[in-house]
Amino acid sequence: MEKTPLKNGKYNEDAKSSGKLTREQLLELEERDKTPRQKLFDKIITALPILMAAIALAEYLILPDLNPNPMPHIYTCIMAGVLVVYTLSVLVGLFKEKNGDKKLIRKLRYSAPLYTVILLILTAYDYATIKTNIFTYPLVPCVNNILYAGYTDAATLANCALHTLKLMFEGYALGVILGLITGITCGYSQKVNYWVDPIIKFLGPIPISTWIPIIMVFMSGALDLSALFIIVIGVWTAVTNASRAGVANIDKAYFDAAKILGASERQLIFKVAIPCAMPNIMAGMTQGMMTACTAIMVAEMMGVKAGLGWYITWVKSWALYNSMFASLIIICLIFTFVTKLLNIVKKRVLRWQIGVTK
Amino acid sequence: MAVILKLDGVSKSFARVETNDITTALAEVNLEMKSGEFISLVGTSGCGKSTMLRLIAGLIQPTTGKLTVNGEEITGTSPSRGMMFQTHTLFPWLTVEKNIAFADRMQGKHKEKASIDEVNRMLKVIALDNFRKDYPAQLSGGMQQRVALARTLICKPEILLLDEPLGALDSFTRMNMQDEILNLWKENKQLVIMVTHDVDEAIYMGTKVLVMEAHPGRINAAIDIDLEYPRNRASSKFVEYRRQILDMLHFGHKED
Repeated sequence: MEKTPLKNGKYNEDAKSSGKLTREQLLELEERDKTPRQKLFDKIITALPILMAAIALAEYLILPDLNPNPMPHIYTCIMAGVLVVYTLSVLVGLFKEKNGDKKLIRKLRYSAPLYTVILLILTAYDYATIKTNIFTYPLVPCVNNILYAGYTDAATLANCALHTLKLMFEGYALGVILGLITGITCGYSQKVNYWVDPIIKFLGPIPISTWIPIIMVFMSGALDLSALFIIVIGVWTAVTNASRAGVANIDKAYFDAAKILGASERQLIFKVAIPCAMPNIMAGMTQGMMTACTAIMVAEMMGVKAGLGWYITWVKSWALYNSMFASLIIICLIFTFVTKLLNIVKKRVLRWQIGVTK
Repeated sequence: MAVILKLDGVSKSFARVETNDITTALAEVNLEMKSGEFISLVGTSGCGKSTMLRLIAGLIQPTTGKLTVNGEEITGTSPSRGMMFQTHTLFPWLTVEKNIAFADRMQGKHKEKASIDEVNRMLKVIALDNFRKDYPAQLSGGMQQRVALARTLICKPEILLLDEPLGALDSFTRMNMQDEILNLWKENKQLVIMVTHDVDEAIYMGTKVLVMEAHPGRINAAIDIDLEYPRNRASSKFVEYRRQILDMLHFGHKED
């Protein structure tokens, strides 16, 4: 549909004649007019991150460093990049707003306070570390130190990250598949549940890390395999529990309805039970992901000779605090990434729930 | 195709889990119904109305006796015996059109042109063409029941079982739906068996009203409703039927 700029809540003739509004235009129509003061306030807030990034740069470049700071301009480049990208976004947003598309500028206005605070914290942190030593060097390194450590050890870090991701993905996938199989059959069949329920009740409460010494003894040598085993157990319990509850709590009327419409026993499972239990299954998978993240870190820190968990304990023993923080950031990025990925899958699979949870 | 549904000495008992007692939901029912009839089942709760429908649907098996359609015993469910429930039971993860096509999907023929055409026709019949891509949760109660009706009717059932399908609707939507169901029935002349709590609805829609009684569940009386469609709820004959049925259900005025 053609974009029709709507101004100050007045019904535009074009929109009226076509009879259809986009969601955005509807929101705009229903919104109360903003006073000039509010508009000015919005503009100032949107511009704040630009100011804050400039202050951060100035603080970093002008004040003298008290501690060694090799390759000082990694931080400068990143901060300058932030400044440029944000400024450009605002300019594009303003340009689009002129043409009636307010999406981007609204998004920026929404995120601006958060960005400002993050930049403020970064500035304050930099000031408190390398500029004044309020936080003691080298226990708390400045941002540029951390970035430098990550840069110099990039190859090792990348290898470790890959190793962690691979092990985690294998364990997670295996755990989810096994968990789905047991969970769904248990939810569906009392007989299977009779045997599996005690196992879950027994294994479920054991914290993941408790397994490590036991497994290390039994699988001495095969460290990756033990890590895999630990992840699988954690994910399996979470997914089994959730999908079992999901299937067991399905309203029996759905099965009746499906039977009357000619569904076979197999179809009752695959076309009714599984989709119906999907919200629970996804919840179990999310919880399983958290368990997998913990399990992989614990396993790597305690035995496995590769991966980010291993790296972080290894650099700690060398008192390389910069590298410790660098790997922590990478761990954070990786886990954020996998969680985000899972959320995208979840949104797509549970699209039908959007209407339900208004 | 005309069908004759027969219940021969059908009874159904349930065992209670906690007390080990046996409850007789339905005792010794003998009945014969055929295509073109619209049977209303009324009675207080616990009189076995729903049990009877579920037996005919094949969802449960009788304790004694036999149910037959054209001489063939009912041993399980079949799309030729469609059923609508009090709740719409639409699958919340499927869109309106996919819900309607569910029976075809189960046979793997939902991608055939005949199936797609039929879904489109059904969407027009229930006047929800514009909502085909919506999920059930996005529809109003009346719309949901219309979709449920379409989902059942697309199998062209010879016997249509309605288990208080309009019970959850507001009175205006309900009256509209009553007329819609009647129109569809007049077109196709299936055998319709409807359970209802509402005596007015039973008389308004049925060619015959079966009055049931509880403890144990049984059929107390069969009243043929001798009125032309569309029926007038305020006509003296209609009111007379209502008085008669309410009397049987012990809701009559004691002083009369």
